[in-house]
Amino acid sequence: MAGYVVRRLLTAVPVLFGVTLITFLLMHFTAGNYVPGLQLDPNLKPSDIARIRANLGLDRPLIVQYLDWIGIGALFKAVGLAGVLGGSHNIDPGILEGNFGRSLIDGSPVLASVLGRLPNTLELTATAIVVGLALAVPVGVVSALRRGSRLDQFLTAASVAGFAVPQFWLGLLLILLFSVEFHAWGLPWLPSSGAVSPLGGGGVVDRLQHLALPATVLAFFYLSSWSRFVRSSMIETLSQDYVRTARAKGMSERRTVYVHALRNAVAPLVTLIGLELPGLVSGALVVEVVFGWPGIGLLAFQRALQYDYTTVMGITTFAAVLVVLGNLLADVLYAVIDPRVRYS
Amino acid sequence: MIDSEPLPRGAMASLPAGSVRPGRGFWRESWDELRSNRAGMASAAVLCLLVAIALAAPAVSAVVTHYGPTQQDLGHAFEGPSRLHWLGTDELGRDTLTRLVYGARVSLGVGFLTVAIALTVGAAVGLLSGYYVGLLDDVLMRVVDVVLSVPPVFLYILMSILFRPNAITLAVIIASIGWAGLARLVRSEVLSLRSRDFIVATRSLGARDARLILRHVLPNALPVMIVAASLGLGQVVLIEAALDFLGLGIQAPTPSWGDMLSNAQVYFVHSTWLVVLPGSLIFLTVLAANVLGNAVRDAFDPRLRRF
Repeated sequence: MAGYVVRRLLTAVPVLFGVTLITFLLMHFTAGNYVPGLQLDPNLKPSDIARIRANLGLDRPLIVQYLDWIGIGALFKAVGLAGVLGGSHNIDPGILEGNFGRSLIDGSPVLASVLGRLPNTLELTATAIVVGLALAVPVGVVSALRRGSRLDQFLTAASVAGFAVPQFWLGLLLILLFSVEFHAWGLPWLPSSGAVSPLGGGGVVDRLQHLALPATVLAFFYLSSWSRFVRSSMIETLSQDYVRTARAKGMSERRTVYVHALRNAVAPLVTLIGLELPGLVSGALVVEVVFGWPGIGLLAFQRALQYDYTTVMGITTFAAVLVVLGNLLADVLYAVIDPRVRYS
Repeated sequence: MIDSEPLPRGAMASLPAGSVRPGRGFWRESWDELRSNRAGMASAAVLCLLVAIALAAPAVSAVVTHYGPTQQDLGHAFEGPSRLHWLGTDELGRDTLTRLVYGARVSLGVGFLTVAIALTVGAAVGLLSGYYVGLLDDVLMRVVDVVLSVPPVFLYILMSILFRPNAITLAVIIASIGWAGLARLVRSEVLSLRSRDFIVATRSLGARDARLILRHVLPNALPVMIVAASLGLGQVVLIEAALDFLGLGIQAPTPSWGDMLSNAQVYFVHSTWLVVLPGSLIFLTVLAANVLGNAVRDAFDPRLRRF
């Protein structure tokens, strides 16, 4: 087991390097030679601009800037090799030391902004995943047990439709119905934006009311895809020899299905949910924008519109690290559940 | 409760020769199978209709609605359906029907172009990677891993700011991520093909790599590519619409369904129509593409082939 984990960890390292390289190059081509306002200031001579750029370390070779950004610079400094990096400027800690850069707009550390928004995003996505899962398993099992029935056909059609609904449109329709029309009809209505009411909000009921609509949109999406998965997995499991054996022994149908088959049918879901872990952070972007949910996605979107490249890059790198770790975790969990994986 | 089980692999060989259907060839058989799939054919018809409407958009604007897609009529803003404006108007008095028709050009145009680019790049990488294995394969597949590791939303956002996209750059942006999954798929197919007897035999006859790849490996990897491409179209239309909605896709005043929804979001207390109509069209397009994609998969995927 330990060997398997180590092997998977080693393959994750080059991927993480590649991810930081892509984000760095994109940042460089987007904004690399740009320091806000410099070129526009008539009082600055070209030599001043060059000096400021040199102070910021922007005159160094690209590769050196990259190494500095990911934090190898500090490593060099620690072992007395800072001269290799050139320049007398102060070397900031890099990503390896947990510094994801500073905002171009207000200079605040990106990691702090992200961590500040993280609880809201987790609240939304975790709720959606739990609700989606709680519905997907029974729906998938019922479909599988009554394969070909009217109910199965209906659920299949619903899931195909659910897959084709744009999340932002579903969100708008829910707002239209539950916030606008319910309000107009004098019914109890749900808030359409934000995570808490601006005045006197923050109680449990208030938070749940705000959570209801965006979580529904996300959960609907998870339900559509996972219920299909549970259905086909269950159908496959029910045709296995050990299920036939259980039936032949005279075991009750209920016990056969819910104890023997279900556990094995649902196990591969772990991988799917593991693949959603990065979605915990990024998958909700569109939904967060529609509902003004103050999460990481909305932060990235707003900062992008303000050309705050460094913040967007920091968030992207942060999310990419989570993707790699999420995949790793899913693989390891799956290896725990299914011992065959470890030895292949 | 006992289902009829599919024949185990190799069962064909043990059947008496006369009981096997005369071979019609893979393509003929797949095509017949696809044509017998009613939901798939209905979806294909819907898609063809949408394509026809998109192509005929200027004609529809000139002959049917008599309004241009960006023609404003401030005196008639937020109107419901009428004889002048069949599907009403938006906040600037622009004719909704005309804009919806033009919006089809964006959704379908970007959709097909993206799939074409992603498929070309993905297939090329997958073929090279799977055929030559070794160092090239390692490098290319690590690149694929990296592309698939960055949450795509953020890359779309970054590149959209960088390029201020028109239809073509938008397709390139979406395809710049979409190719990776296709490459992985094609590669695994090629890996299983390259050691088959017919490839080994052709190589032993002296066929060069280029000929082997293009004439022998590629045609056999084609079904997988067709399936992946048709399943990808719906996804791309959804992504494109979402980017338009976020204001990161096609720039106003070019009408697109996502952009219309984004405007409607501001004004939807005035007009429910403006929310319902563009969204329904996105939904319909994606639904048709997905159902057709499923039908194509059932018909063309050799691994699902029922004997």
